[in-house]
Amino acid sequence: MTKQDCAISRRDFLKGSVASAAVIGAGTMGLMPGAWAAGSDTIKVGVIGCGGRGTGAAFDCLNADPGVKIVALGDLFKDRLDGCLGRLTGDEKLKERVDITPDRCFTGFDNYEKVIDCGVDMVIMAAPPGFRPAHVKYAVDKGKHIFMEKPVAVDAPGVKLILEAGEIATQKKLGIVAGTIKRHQANYVATVKRIHDGAVGDILSAQCYYNTGELWNHGRKPEWTDVEWQIRNWLYFTWLSGDHIVEQHVHNIDVINWALNAHPLKCVGMGGRQKRTDPAYGHIFDHFAVEYEYPNGVRVMSMCRQQDGCCGNVSERVIGTEGSSNCAGLIKGSREWKFEGSAPSPYVQEHIDLISGIRDGKPLNEARQIAESSLTAIMGRMSAYTGQEITWEQAMNSQENLMPEKLEFGPMPVAPVAVPGRTPFS
Amino acid sequence: MRYVIVLVLILAAIPALCADTPANYAESISGTLVKFDMVGIPAGKVTMGTQTVQVKALWIAKTETTWDAYDVFVYRLDEPQGAPSGNDAVSHPSKPYGAADRGYGHKGYPVINVSYYAAEQYCKWLTAKTGHTYRLPTEAEWQYACLAGAPEPDEKSLDKYAWFWQEKTQPVAQKLPNAWGIYDMLGNVAEWCAGLDCAAGASIPDRRDKPVVCGGSFEDSANKIKASTRKYQDDSWQANDPQNPKSKWWLSDGQFVGFRIVRDQ
Repeated sequence: MTKQDCAISRRDFLKGSVASAAVIGAGTMGLMPGAWAAGSDTIKVGVIGCGGRGTGAAFDCLNADPGVKIVALGDLFKDRLDGCLGRLTGDEKLKERVDITPDRCFTGFDNYEKVIDCGVDMVIMAAPPGFRPAHVKYAVDKGKHIFMEKPVAVDAPGVKLILEAGEIATQKKLGIVAGTIKRHQANYVATVKRIHDGAVGDILSAQCYYNTGELWNHGRKPEWTDVEWQIRNWLYFTWLSGDHIVEQHVHNIDVINWALNAHPLKCVGMGGRQKRTDPAYGHIFDHFAVEYEYPNGVRVMSMCRQQDGCCGNVSERVIGTEGSSNCAGLIKGSREWKFEGSAPSPYVQEHIDLISGIRDGKPLNEARQIAESSLTAIMGRMSAYTGQEITWEQAMNSQENLMPEKLEFGPMPVAPVAVPGRTPFS
Repeated sequence: MRYVIVLVLILAAIPALCADTPANYAESISGTLVKFDMVGIPAGKVTMGTQTVQVKALWIAKTETTWDAYDVFVYRLDEPQGAPSGNDAVSHPSKPYGAADRGYGHKGYPVINVSYYAAEQYCKWLTAKTGHTYRLPTEAEWQYACLAGAPEPDEKSLDKYAWFWQEKTQPVAQKLPNAWGIYDMLGNVAEWCAGLDCAAGASIPDRRDKPVVCGGSFEDSANKIKASTRKYQDDSWQANDPQNPKSKWWLSDGQFVGFRIVRDQ
């Protein structure tokens, strides 16, 4: 079967009646949205974005379910794809379920379309976050289940695309799980449930932190164009990462939205580029502090920092009328409680939860929650960059589209470092 | 309590009186203000399993390696500030994705979450930096220094010498030192050791011929806080590392793993 045949048959299959298609035998045809036949059936998975996380997620997915097969890889760069392929095919325990042929390896800017169209049932999305909305939209249009790394957007137009795709995915009974792992981490799940059940009373305030050191930098090779250099060092460019408040701190912000069961109404943020000032680090900030206001006047302090040698703190805390909690297994106050179970790797658990939902015909769909958490982080960035108070509505309706209109290798100037009080909101 | 302190002082004085005990000294890392103390210990014997092992006189760090010193290695704090550095003779750790100190505390706290490879590379780096040959202790050396010629503290007095059954690590050297003036050998962080370096291994039950952490940690209950306590690395120590390949420098789930260094005479 050629790639083209494969893609067409798959599309036709999805267009047709789900009920009648199920009869044809899901085992050979692949995974059916909302109509999983038997627990032993194969799930054909493609990976989009073959860096360390994409490769790690492929292994996590293989470890999550014996029916998973990794069948296709896509990455902008061949060297990244080859690295992932080598590690997957070199794993003695799992290589039996790695069935990647050269004609299912795709590079270039359209690699994601080719992966999605080559007969996979599910895709792992781990390309830089700026690309995610387009990838998610295309995959949902083509009826694919999705595991997508966080964050899922870097600007409001991207958030809206994710929200729309999420709605369509619900109609199509597609599973979507995001890489905000704490939602699948047993100690967090048990604690937040207690918070929802009133274990700390009414929540009055909360804090969340991702204070850590600097991350990797791949430097620049003379043969790289501006665009290649930026994408290979995507952390440091807002159009790709959203800045570190979005890329990394979204984990903790997501926990707060989850615990409070809400998104903020407005925020005031500040931040700057104080220490990591070399041009090698693009134009992003190295620290942010944002105060969010949630419904009922609940204030949330959010801090994130990427500066080497400083004290670290990656955590959350909620304070209520009757106690407090770290959201991660500890409740103090009138209803003291400590999590004492075991917490299996959330990186595997998130795939287990995604796949078991698909198999049971009750697919998880986390599109809205992660879109909202991503926008929460984005509005914090907007406020810190501009120096202005930003409301949820302003953030959601922002016209700032960070993705270049035409994406190709070539020159691209680095966006200026934001200057609060001067950088306009758009 | 008074008797214990008197005993400690007397025992601590013994090595200083022996001619073959190396003199204590403070090591400093040039280009920084970081200093740490090395304690000379005399040659002697230690029982490992059923065999007696001879240990040469050497220096051992007075405390577990702290972030103060390790940060210099990780973040090249001894080099001028600027762009990402190029390669040099010793490889330096990758940047950890999360907070490697877990928010337990930084200045004055023992390093945690470090792989055996990272601890070894630190020794190589420090050797190149200072001109003194530093390495990880063997299990025999570690156990010898831990016991310091005295019986192990019993569970009742353990609290005076060791951090255990805690929610997190504690700053080094807050409890009493052992008889040779060495702090936190027991508890706080379990410490990487470099294998037995002798033939006694066969006599020790369940011993495996690979790096091992010794002495128990802040997470353990009192009955695990012993000179003979061992833990061998398994997959769970990196279960939450989301990357593939997993970091060779950092243990995502090694919050109880640290190390201390020794130097040959």
